[in-house]
Amino acid sequence: MKHYRITVNGKSYDVTVEELGASRYAPAASGASTPAPAPDAAPQPAQAQPAAIPANGGSILTVKAPMPGTVIAFKVIVGQQVKRGDVLLLLEAMKMENEIVAPQDGTVVALRVPASAAVNTGDALVDLA
Amino acid sequence: MEEKLRELEERRAKVLAGGGPKRVAAQHEKGKMTARERIEMLLDPGTFVELDAFVRHRATELGMDKVDAPGEGVVTGYGAVNGRHVCVFAQDFTVIGGSLGEMHAAKICKVMDLAVKIGCPLIGINDSGGARIQEGVDALSGYGEIFYRNTCASGVIPQISVIMGPCAGGAVYSPALTDFVFMTEGTSNMFITGPQVIKAVTGEEVSAEDLGGARVHSEISGVSHFSFPDEQSTMEAIRKLLSYLPQNNVEDPPFVDVGDDPNRIDDSLGDLMPDSPNKPYDVRDIITRLVDSSDFFEVQPNYAKNIVVGFARLAGRSIGIIANQPRYLAGVLDINASDKAARFIRFCDAFNIPLLTLADTAGYLPGVGQEHGGVIRHGAKLLYAYSEATVPKLTVILRKAYGGAYIAMCSRHLGADQIFAWPTAEIAVMGPEGAANIIFKKEIEEASDPAAVRQQKIEEYKRSFANPYTAAARGYVDDVIDPAHTRMRLCNALNALLGKRQSTPSRKHGNIPV
Repeated sequence: MKHYRITVNGKSYDVTVEELGASRYAPAASGASTPAPAPDAAPQPAQAQPAAIPANGGSILTVKAPMPGTVIAFKVIVGQQVKRGDVLLLLEAMKMENEIVAPQDGTVVALRVPASAAVNTGDALVDLA
Repeated sequence: MEEKLRELEERRAKVLAGGGPKRVAAQHEKGKMTARERIEMLLDPGTFVELDAFVRHRATELGMDKVDAPGEGVVTGYGAVNGRHVCVFAQDFTVIGGSLGEMHAAKICKVMDLAVKIGCPLIGINDSGGARIQEGVDALSGYGEIFYRNTCASGVIPQISVIMGPCAGGAVYSPALTDFVFMTEGTSNMFITGPQVIKAVTGEEVSAEDLGGARVHSEISGVSHFSFPDEQSTMEAIRKLLSYLPQNNVEDPPFVDVGDDPNRIDDSLGDLMPDSPNKPYDVRDIITRLVDSSDFFEVQPNYAKNIVVGFARLAGRSIGIIANQPRYLAGVLDINASDKAARFIRFCDAFNIPLLTLADTAGYLPGVGQEHGGVIRHGAKLLYAYSEATVPKLTVILRKAYGGAYIAMCSRHLGADQIFAWPTAEIAVMGPEGAANIIFKKEIEEASDPAAVRQQKIEEYKRSFANPYTAAARGYVDDVIDPAHTRMRLCNALNALLGKRQSTPSRKHGNIPV
């Protein structure tokens, strides 16, 4: 049995997944499309996070740290609309105050780390929706 | 005689019609032009001369004896771009899906051989469903013959591939072997194994566009060098690219005087450099101020954006520019940036295009991912490419040139011919903060006020090393210059170096760490 935490539209759910054996659910590689196994229990919201309602109701795009460094300052707040290329935050790395920009238009749903946090490559910084 | 002429006319009309009006309409509906329309758009009007219009396949298996394929699904020939000779082939999707069979490949090989013989660029327009399965191993042989010729022609004539439709399986390797790959957004795809195969084998579901569309290959994989929104703008870009290139490896690039004064002084150029060494700026702003008419033709603008490469002119002469981009990833060198720059440098060197390097980088990107990805091996390509290049090599150190990255960005030690530094240059083994921490570790630790002593040592290090004068004292930098004079000094140096001849020991070929 495996436990996952899944975040949907800024809301976290704790989900338990149990493998019920290959006989009932054929692997996708066989070519047949099968529904995903249902979790044991209905997902319960784990904890509320500061989140805005995504404008498009679509998927969340997480902007990640391109290199290890320190977050100097966020230039946006939760709920703010941003355009592709707008500066989201400054990341001090490799002796440079790097501007981390929005990869596409959207709304800021969450700031994933506090200002002045030290982050590694691939760490989540900002969620856009 | 009249009858014979009529027969010729009829036969030619059939070839010119391609797959017929219905299939041509279908092609147009997808926003795609036909093979002939593409050639017409690429070449100067009225210059196209077709070859092998009457070539036919000789396959008989699996019903192929009844299949008529006008032109064998590919149009080949030669013509002119900006008055200069080029050879061209364009696969015709309206004729059995542009599929590649024995004789289709033979037509392509013939025009490739012609391009090498006369020493002119080759442009291949790809729009094909893939191998003609009915022709079996003869189709595979066709691909192999093309790959072999691509390789033999590499570094002899410029080879340009244009993807304007599907290009899947083995077909992708001909473009991959050529110098530049152009893709048209929305209609072109490249992949080794398509979405259906991937779904069957790994279960992953992905659209053709997300797997191998123009955006994927120009931003993520680096397979493509240029992508444009439609076929017309793609063709215009190819014509522009060719304007910077010589016809072959023994010619010099064309001289184009646009009337921009080589001695033009730009007093505000230095203002583009932020006062704080930690502030980013867009190096393309500096490039466009230096080159003729602010005309910079960037190659791979959306891939490995931490390094900028592209073509421009100085005093009318084509140059290849390689510049760290402080605005993206702090301008660090990493795996992708090294690959991108190394390939560009080798192209320029092969075709006698001098190199201008603008250096401002703090070094190689640290991280487990980079080390495990082989940054040692990939970074070495950059050193290799610069060292190997015998064209005139000019370098301007704008700001940071630290450690290994200083060496890598066309330093004196890799054979640069002229190196200028702006007064803002910091040429040192590492940044002041890191250096002070190491050199004065003991003194800082033992001090009553470590922070104050540390700051004092950083300042001391900056004064002694974070400047261009230590390097200039050794002759590693030829001159420290006022940014306003950069264009003048570069034009002057380039003219002085035009006669550069450098011979290397005879060998079969080097062994670049690919």
